[in-house]
Amino acid sequence: MSVRVKLPSVLQELSCGTETCEVTGHTVGECIKSLEMRFPDIRNHLFDRQGKLLRIFGIYLKSDGIRPVDLDTPVQDDDEIIILSFIMGG
Amino acid sequence: MRGYTGKLLRVNLSKRESKVEDVPEQLMKDFLGGRGLAVKYLYSELKPGVDPLGPDNKLLFMMGPLGATTAMSVSRLAVVTKSPLTGCIAKSVAGGNFGAFLKFAGFDGIILEGKAEKPTYIHIDSNGVHILDAVGIWGLDTEETQSKLRQTHGNSTKTICIGPAGEKLVRYAIVISDRRCGGRGGVGTVMGAKKLKAIAVNSSGPLGVYDPQQFKDLSKEQIEGLRTSPRRIQMTDFGTSYLTLGFEKMGIFPVKNFQEGHLEGVENIGDEALAKIKIKNDGCWGCMTKCGQVRKITEGPYVGAISEGPDYETIWSLGGNLANTDQGALITADSICDKLGMDTIGAGNAIGFACELFERGIITKKDTDGLDLSWGNHGDMIKLLDKIGRREGFGELLGEGTKRAAERIGKGAEAYAMHVKGSEIPAYEPRAVKGYGLIFATSNVGANHMYGRPREELAGKADRFAEEGKGKDIARNQIMQAVEDSIVQCSFTPATGFTPESRAKFLVAATGFNEFSDPAYLDLIGERILCLERSFNVREGFNRKDDTLPARMRTEPLKNAGPATGQVIRNLDKLLDEYYDALGYSHQGIPTEEKLRQIGLEWVIEDIKKFIS
Repeated sequence: MSVRVKLPSVLQELSCGTETCEVTGHTVGECIKSLEMRFPDIRNHLFDRQGKLLRIFGIYLKSDGIRPVDLDTPVQDDDEIIILSFIMGG
Repeated sequence: MRGYTGKLLRVNLSKRESKVEDVPEQLMKDFLGGRGLAVKYLYSELKPGVDPLGPDNKLLFMMGPLGATTAMSVSRLAVVTKSPLTGCIAKSVAGGNFGAFLKFAGFDGIILEGKAEKPTYIHIDSNGVHILDAVGIWGLDTEETQSKLRQTHGNSTKTICIGPAGEKLVRYAIVISDRRCGGRGGVGTVMGAKKLKAIAVNSSGPLGVYDPQQFKDLSKEQIEGLRTSPRRIQMTDFGTSYLTLGFEKMGIFPVKNFQEGHLEGVENIGDEALAKIKIKNDGCWGCMTKCGQVRKITEGPYVGAISEGPDYETIWSLGGNLANTDQGALITADSICDKLGMDTIGAGNAIGFACELFERGIITKKDTDGLDLSWGNHGDMIKLLDKIGRREGFGELLGEGTKRAAERIGKGAEAYAMHVKGSEIPAYEPRAVKGYGLIFATSNVGANHMYGRPREELAGKADRFAEEGKGKDIARNQIMQAVEDSIVQCSFTPATGFTPESRAKFLVAATGFNEFSDPAYLDLIGERILCLERSFNVREGFNRKDDTLPARMRTEPLKNAGPATGQVIRNLDKLLDEYYDALGYSHQGIPTEEKLRQIGLEWVIEDIKKFIS
């Protein structure tokens, strides 16, 4: 499947300023891995040391509406994965 | 009058008298409410040089124009005084439930002056204002105090009070309403110095607004937006605890008194781990986010410990800052601070300071009443917290705050006191987000995480390691914070869901003041408040020399902090110049005559004239 991933500003410093990237995969997790192939530093920022998604980010799928998704959620051609940043001062 | 009640309650504790005053409409338009209005009254009524703990200091509690309405997350309470910790102006914003009911009782705020002869509390109900003997509650902790006042005046009683730490004049004592506090700057210390244990109110709403139908429509829209907002849901599910692991990875989470940026075992106090011991949500009156996470320890040496929190700040101050990753100790320490009524940031920072002195041999067990202050030794850390709150032994010294404690200890201890203007630095490593460094250095209340945020840097829109090009953004963020604190809205954007436009519509619908529809008008109010706070400090002798950071931030490269490793703030002077230029201050950090006239503060010129040249 070919899908787009939209990155928040805080991750765009790791993607050479690119906001939206075309990636491939059958699940959200595979698409994120595809993204990491292009921009390896992104993994360090998205996941904790145990490999869990850090909660300063949320992953949403724009398919039929926008909804929060897990890494094993299947994707369809032309879907859009949106990574939101929840970073703020506490 | 709508949105506002238009009335202030003034209580003179020395004379045991109270009176009700009108708030001039122009003051509301010039200062908005909350922090702005309180700062205006304090500036106008306080002479420079007043002892913060003496009878001449005043303590103000002030609501905003949207408070006690159906709008979400705007019923907070600004608390303003001259700080016993810094000697500057102090502002703290408290959640809880007291503020809304104060407004239902007919008051936008309270001005407390004088000093009671003996422990006192104030009770407000439909029969008036009663100044009562507090002997029966003096000495009780904050939970016991609120419970006792509910027993006395009925279950619907809402209270703001101090704990033993405020009574004993710990310089970072808090005021607390329900489980939410006005935590910073020693506002509870001033209340304790006035021998005022609590203010209790029995009242009921609703409160009128200028355009009820428009207000109702806006509220409905706000609630519908919040219901599905991912950011709001994240706050409800985890509170601010979700920031810990991400910030630690980014090198923003200070460890061991700002010595480094990596905490071994941080996962134990991360969001997932703390979610496992959550028993329910809690929150402020008039907020559907309910970001408070009530957590309970069910096993181990701290079994039974409960607290609402810790939030991100406290996870840091009583956790990472002390190399403590024990959940039970963290919950217990948070609970002790809330019950004794002291700021977790101030207390945790003071203990971190002591731990580093202990590590370096500057103090030993002889100085600490036998306590072993090795990093991560949470058992003795908890004993020390209790000593601080009761001002016993070594706790008496740390209750003075890190600045004064370091001066008394000597032997080079000042180098390890992490404060600005006497206010302990909160949970953000300034070297890892240099905008935070500039905020802490320039804040008129000393280091404080609620004096603007480096939004652009946190969002990745500006380089967080750069040492130029930040002055305008930081000035702008401090202005925005002044507006938020004057409305008085929750500063967690996910809890209000406000856009500048929706907020302006709320303000006009509440008050009928069309001026508030213009964002530039609100910015002008924010700038005016910021400048008046600075003028308050200038009058007290503060200037550029005080706008600084501990030497550690300026000379020691940050260690073990992921992408922030090696960072140091080498050019604070350039950042300060940019900041002063952005606000129209001289490079001595003092507002110019031209700026004061431009923003409607010409009446301040005479007061600070001698400092301008």
